[in-house]
Amino acid sequence: MSEMTISGEYFRGIIKDNPIFALVLGLCPTLAVTTSVENAIGMAGAALFVLLGSNIMISALRKHIPPITRIPMFIIIICTFVTIIDMVMEAYTPPLYKALGIFIPLIVVNCIIIGRAEAYAIRNNVKYSIVDALGIGTGFLIVLVIIGTIRELLGTGAIVLFGFKLISIPIYSDSPATFMILPAGAFMTIGVLMALVNYNRIRKLKRGL
Amino acid sequence: MEEVSLFAIAINGIFVKNFLLVQFLGLCSFLGVSKETKSATGMSAAVMFVMIMASTAAFLIYTYLLQPFGLTFLSTISFIIIIAALVQLVEFIIRKYSPPLYRSLGIFLPLITTNCAILGVVILNVRLEYGFIESVFYGFTAALGYTMVMLLMSAIREKTSVLNVPAPVQGIPHAFFITTLLSMAFVNFFGVIPT
Amino acid sequence: MTGTLLIAQSAVIIGGIGFLVGIVLIWASIKFAVETNPLVEDVIGVLPGANCGACGYAGCSDFADKVVSESAPIDGCPVGGFDVAKQIGSKLGQEVIEAESIYPFVRCDGGVHCIDKIDYVGIDDCRAVMMISDGEKGCSYGCIGRGTCVRACPFGAMSMGDDRLPYINKHLCKGCGICVDECPNEILVMASESDSVHVLCRSHDKGKLVKSVCEFGCIGCRICAKNCPAQAITVTDFLAEIDQEKCTDCGLCVENCPQKSIVPTSPALEAAA
Repeated sequence: MSEMTISGEYFRGIIKDNPIFALVLGLCPTLAVTTSVENAIGMAGAALFVLLGSNIMISALRKHIPPITRIPMFIIIICTFVTIIDMVMEAYTPPLYKALGIFIPLIVVNCIIIGRAEAYAIRNNVKYSIVDALGIGTGFLIVLVIIGTIRELLGTGAIVLFGFKLISIPIYSDSPATFMILPAGAFMTIGVLMALVNYNRIRKLKRGL
Repeated sequence: MEEVSLFAIAINGIFVKNFLLVQFLGLCSFLGVSKETKSATGMSAAVMFVMIMASTAAFLIYTYLLQPFGLTFLSTISFIIIIAALVQLVEFIIRKYSPPLYRSLGIFLPLITTNCAILGVVILNVRLEYGFIESVFYGFTAALGYTMVMLLMSAIREKTSVLNVPAPVQGIPHAFFITTLLSMAFVNFFGVIPT
Repeated sequence: MTGTLLIAQSAVIIGGIGFLVGIVLIWASIKFAVETNPLVEDVIGVLPGANCGACGYAGCSDFADKVVSESAPIDGCPVGGFDVAKQIGSKLGQEVIEAESIYPFVRCDGGVHCIDKIDYVGIDDCRAVMMISDGEKGCSYGCIGRGTCVRACPFGAMSMGDDRLPYINKHLCKGCGICVDECPNEILVMASESDSVHVLCRSHDKGKLVKSVCEFGCIGCRICAKNCPAQAITVTDFLAEIDQEKCTDCGLCVENCPQKSIVPTSPALEAAA
């Protein structure tokens, strides 16, 4: 097995194995919660919590999980953490809880989490599983924030984070393109971003990298 | 709990709150399966079957097992167990009675378990506080909406497969752009059912 | 509710659901058990696995199933050809005799030799063209040359020539016949290696019209039919058709055709021509 370094595994989760652009997993929450940057960060945070929890637990138990029952075991472990974060968010961050709606319990079927459990946590030790969770979580956060920024900025003309108006485009915000906040805008944004990622990939292939 | 008419549920499930184009539920399998009409039909049928059964079973478990004991926080985990079991059951049945369908569905059948649409419909039934008939009917109409969009999408993708699409756009971005247009059409239904 | 009671009840309920589900699934796995014949798996292993449907069944696994249950012929896979048929035969303990290989044949010599009737702007596909009033070429029966067949070939065995007619690479062609089905004008037909002559035209237009649009089209003059010693040629509606079973390989039709619509395809005749 090639050398694994903490920073190597961490950055792999952000770029080479980016959950949305490289692995194309977890599209449902990506498109649904990116109507604002705040929601995007909230979802990424919740997903990171579940990812960390499940990676740690599955990695710790990896020698004791019989292969034939591993998928149900993963789901039950992930479910535990999802229920925890669901109850915590309902209690401590009600507006965010309301905004994310059913996508918090739906983290349990987010292919990213099960995918990492299957591809990584079950065969690596706890230390690297933590790093992997952090890396993938960061990758997820970056993509969500990018899409959230585009949609919120173009859709409302301003970005409002935790009550503070960060940026506001002067003339544009009087009648912004609400289209971007709508589902159609989400599809278009991610279509364009994916096309850009593909273009980059093809360019690299042509150069022989 | 307000009385919700079945007609309103139907319009909501199929058009206004379409699962794929408006609520973003069920997208992961959507992209993969909607390339050909054959697999799209098969997947839609399987989803419809699982949705109706899951709505029924989940409602019964929630109302008669979880609510009386005040254990509603166990809903997520019990629902996912039921859904996983149902999908496994459907897999057994299809494998026995229609092997060609089983082979053509391939990996998509086990993938329905992690399909956000199924768990989504079940959780929505709980959050909207639907009764038994409403829950099952919502499952049915949500699946109808899913089927409609799948068939539309596969028809469009099959027809546009002959076009010269620039290399970076080929495949998934192309599918997303088609979905954008479909979704824009569905915006017209917003507000038909006042929320 | 006290903590321990809550935990106990949760454990019992989830445990109970899980247990019940387990029982139901065990029952189901027995009730719906499918007997897999290991022979079918063997046959699937031997098949090319292209799932092209040329055999007429729903994919390779379906064909394997039917072959083992003896409702499909052992040499039913045109893609695998004689090799695969022999292997299947040995798995089932049966002898297989080699059948003649078949290839698609392009029954048109128009292409650049046939004038364009309209300036077509639209989807670059033959099927799309044929949806617009009889197509873009002067001959409505001819090859449109936009490559629907080339794209349909799952094995990359076809290419569009500079003369706007498709060419078949016989080394790559597996005889699956998908190109034949895809052509909207039925230009392609599966022909066996032993066919010696072919008519390169599908046009039922009157001779004068054919001559005005295409250099090599069949005008229905009947010279070939009159000269054929085996009476293998019939001319119906201004188009000559050859009965390959009756053909004796004499090549007289090729010599006598004023339009050069009939071409030799067997090596012997080709050498003579």
